[in-house]
Amino acid sequence: MTNKVFTTVGKPEQRIDAVEKSTGKVRYVGDYSVPGLMHAKLVTSTQAHAKITSIDTTEAWKVPGVRAIVTGEVFPYHIGPILADRPPLAFEKVRYYGEPVAIIVADHEYQAKLATTKVKVEYDPLPIVNSVQQAFQADAPLVHENAGSYTKIISNVYPKTGTNIGSHIKIRKGNFEDEWENCEETITANYSFNLSDHVALETRSTRVEINPRGKVIVHSCSQSPFTIKKVLNQFFNVEVGNVLVHIPMIGGAFGGKGTVQLEPLAYLASKSVGGKLVKLEMDREEDMITSPCRVGLDATVQLGATKEGKLVAGKYTYLLDSGAYTDQAAGITRAAAIDCTGPYDIPNVWCDSYCVYTNHPFATSFRGYGHPELTFAVERTMDQLAKQLQIDPIQLRIINGIKPGHTTPTQTVLTANNIGDIEKCINRAKELIQWDEGQKMVSGKNKVRSKGISMFWKTSTTATNAEAGAILTFEADGSVNLNCAAIELGQGTKTILGQILAEKLGMGMDKIHVTMETNTQYDPHQWRTVASSSTFLAGRAVIAAADHAITQLKKTAATVLKCSPDDLDIGGGKVYLKPDPAFGVDIKEIALGYTYPSGHSIDGQVVGIGKHIQRHLTPMDEETGFGKPGPWWSVGVQAVEVEMDTRDFTYTILKGVTVLDGGTIINPKTAQQQMRGGMYMGLSYATSEKFIFDEHGVVQNTGLRNYPMLRYGEQPAQYLVDFIESPAADGPFGARGIGEYGVIGAPACLANSLSYALDVALNQLPLTPESIWEASRGSEE
Amino acid sequence: MIAFDFKYIKPTTAKEASKLFLNAKQKGNKAMFYSGGTEIITLARVNQLQTDMVIDIKGIPECNVLEIRGNELVIGSTVSLNDIAKSKLFPLLGDTVQRIADHTSRNKITIGGNLNSELIYKEGILPLLVADAKVKLAKGLEQRIVSLESIFKKQLELETGEFLVQIIVDKSYLDHPHMAKKRTKISKVGYPVVSVAALVKECQIQIAFSGVCQYPFRSFKLESVLNDTKVPVMERIGTAMQHLPEDVVDDIQGTKAYRTFVLRNVLKDILEELELTK
Repeated sequence: MTNKVFTTVGKPEQRIDAVEKSTGKVRYVGDYSVPGLMHAKLVTSTQAHAKITSIDTTEAWKVPGVRAIVTGEVFPYHIGPILADRPPLAFEKVRYYGEPVAIIVADHEYQAKLATTKVKVEYDPLPIVNSVQQAFQADAPLVHENAGSYTKIISNVYPKTGTNIGSHIKIRKGNFEDEWENCEETITANYSFNLSDHVALETRSTRVEINPRGKVIVHSCSQSPFTIKKVLNQFFNVEVGNVLVHIPMIGGAFGGKGTVQLEPLAYLASKSVGGKLVKLEMDREEDMITSPCRVGLDATVQLGATKEGKLVAGKYTYLLDSGAYTDQAAGITRAAAIDCTGPYDIPNVWCDSYCVYTNHPFATSFRGYGHPELTFAVERTMDQLAKQLQIDPIQLRIINGIKPGHTTPTQTVLTANNIGDIEKCINRAKELIQWDEGQKMVSGKNKVRSKGISMFWKTSTTATNAEAGAILTFEADGSVNLNCAAIELGQGTKTILGQILAEKLGMGMDKIHVTMETNTQYDPHQWRTVASSSTFLAGRAVIAAADHAITQLKKTAATVLKCSPDDLDIGGGKVYLKPDPAFGVDIKEIALGYTYPSGHSIDGQVVGIGKHIQRHLTPMDEETGFGKPGPWWSVGVQAVEVEMDTRDFTYTILKGVTVLDGGTIINPKTAQQQMRGGMYMGLSYATSEKFIFDEHGVVQNTGLRNYPMLRYGEQPAQYLVDFIESPAADGPFGARGIGEYGVIGAPACLANSLSYALDVALNQLPLTPESIWEASRGSEE
Repeated sequence: MIAFDFKYIKPTTAKEASKLFLNAKQKGNKAMFYSGGTEIITLARVNQLQTDMVIDIKGIPECNVLEIRGNELVIGSTVSLNDIAKSKLFPLLGDTVQRIADHTSRNKITIGGNLNSELIYKEGILPLLVADAKVKLAKGLEQRIVSLESIFKKQLELETGEFLVQIIVDKSYLDHPHMAKKRTKISKVGYPVVSVAALVKECQIQIAFSGVCQYPFRSFKLESVLNDTKVPVMERIGTAMQHLPEDVVDDIQGTKAYRTFVLRNVLKDILEELELTK
């Protein structure tokens, strides 16, 4: 396969959604309206932790158009993707500011919204858990009184009753304790940052109806249509087959639309009005606070090394702020443990990764799934260790870079196929950032330029039975429809799958029609569109479906051409004889079966079916973490050059570099944009983003007026991306996943460059001029 | 989405606008003058503002003026921030308002709206304070022209039913040496940690501040300290910090200590650069 010159794979094909999007013609979930549509709005908690003593809806009922008011006792049960610990509507108590307390259903959205302001909820405030450090103290108030009693939905989650621990994942590899004692050089450092938000352009939105036959029809902007079916079945007792989920194109997700929050609420709302179609759309402020956000982290990293800089032992304590409910934070806790060391070969590893309950908005998956967080901690420590050892930071990374033959923290053996080449990546990044010209130089009055670098890795922690399928139907003109449940959320997955199919069939992209929307009733099952897994899983399914179709095409063509299927090849819209490509039959002649001049017909439409399921993945051992959690590791290096004003601590990012080994790159342009977009996002939360809480756990910046983000035009002036392509034998055309990767190393390399500029350890995000000023003052005192 | 019902009326004369306002008030209803609408809309949609009526004054011709008339620059209250900047008629004002919000918002935000903002910043007022601007106010058939300074006490103090029609700046101020500096938390777009506008008139620096206290201000006392060139710059700045009208703001955009640090740096830059122009 790899000897062949590809015609479409590896080419910068135009994204197939480019025209619709750039002309503004895409209809997102929130854009639909039909007569009779009802609207739901949420009453949300004004307290971060309190008992609900009463809910008075009298005044709300007086608002014209109000048809139903739903409160928590309608469904007093817990749901969740990993640990079922979250009531969809709070009952008895609230655990975060902004938590849904009631749903108003009305004829018009403004009526529902007005009515939400008239519901009087009385609270009896409880003590607040406002940080992970506080949550860990022995006498801390409990966010959940009986966490250990919650139902586990998947394995590898370990809540502890009587504590604020929602899960605790352990890695025990080698013998950390003994080896640590013998290390010639050691370092211990602490890092932290607050929760932040995805802020996808499209706020979350859903419509649900329960039709008279009992079918539950869901339209949503979700990354997980089949999980919606599962949740409505598991917790609401609707038969799986009676839930139909439709997903149009999505306006950005970044993991935030991977979990199921609004659909159960809209289901309860629809049920309260006799199954009518109800729309629930979040305002920006609700999308940021009421819907799940991104985890916070407190990390302590200990590294022990020889004088020459070879790492011997590493200990990692990660306290993930999951907010009020574990949701995907429990999975992130696990993912952070799996890759706790970063891409380094360390024989003795000890990691305690805790999912910690606080009274903050709850967190879910966010692009990188814990890796930008752990990478920040690990890579800052590597730079500080390099300084201590007086070794060049790049050299220290090369000495310790993980390679085939090494094992990961969970003791998965690495091979040339399941991990990329980190050393090639760092050498290329070193060239692009012009490291050898110096890491720091004075560039003007009060101005210094400095460079920082970060390595990173990540595996794709899917379910062990994660799968995808694809169905191809051929048109009378010989073109092909591709249907699969990979969700287009702006990452370009439909284009990539189209390219894989075009390559397999030897067709141009203009002959491939990829269905942009997803419908669970006719698209084959796909686990979810998360974890950078779609190119791999759905890509493999598309290849299988293409092979299936090719078999059919060859069979029919062999009959028509009176030869064996083995004599035939496919390409250029034809099935042709290998030794004489001019002799063949057009695909359009056989796409719907072949009809002889006599009228007799054979074979019928070509329908290709393909599927792929993860192979040989396992859960982790509870005590040691031993297991094989993911199919491959993509690795990469990021670097920035900044110019810092040493007087007022303002800075600009002059240059950003990303080098990734994602195996074969299917589309270099979309991959480049993925890396740039990822780095931009990583730099945004490294420079700007965090939720600010007051002493009552109330979020102070619930909207974009006060929640700063990097803006268009504030990206690095120079934005270089390059790829190392060490093929993965089992990936489609040698590809691994790349979707999340651009974000992972960005915060770390920025912090490294700024720390180096000032010779001050900057270990807290975000890196605002104020926080840098604070850290500099601290280091002077 | 704004949840409550309200009336939207767009009169074409100042008289009518005042009348609508006073009539509503008489009936016990709340009315607001409406110009760009950005603040009314964004606060209303998050239930932080409620009104029964908005009176859009953009239909009043006098409010849309932007021109030099004789010795004066006349700026209608409903002229957008971007139009002011693009006109280049008053460079200091252009520099300052170009740093308010983002480009799309500035297409809508008007100078009158900015001066009457509910927020503490109102940065558009800084160049006007240092340029000793006058304002034309209307209430019914009556119009009055007064100095901006005389009616600006932490906010514009207007009579009930009165609204800002025009801002008038003496032409001689338009090309004085000047400087506007704004520091935000991080982004180019954002509320000021410190925002300052200054110009030099007859060898004296006239300077106004936003983001430092709970309201924008110009202080003659502070100016006299800063203009005392016999004293070294850092010492003047030190003294000036003692003469701020009230405590420095301490909030999520910046702590009191940080704002003070930034203000000192900004003042140093302004004094050093503007004193060269004297």
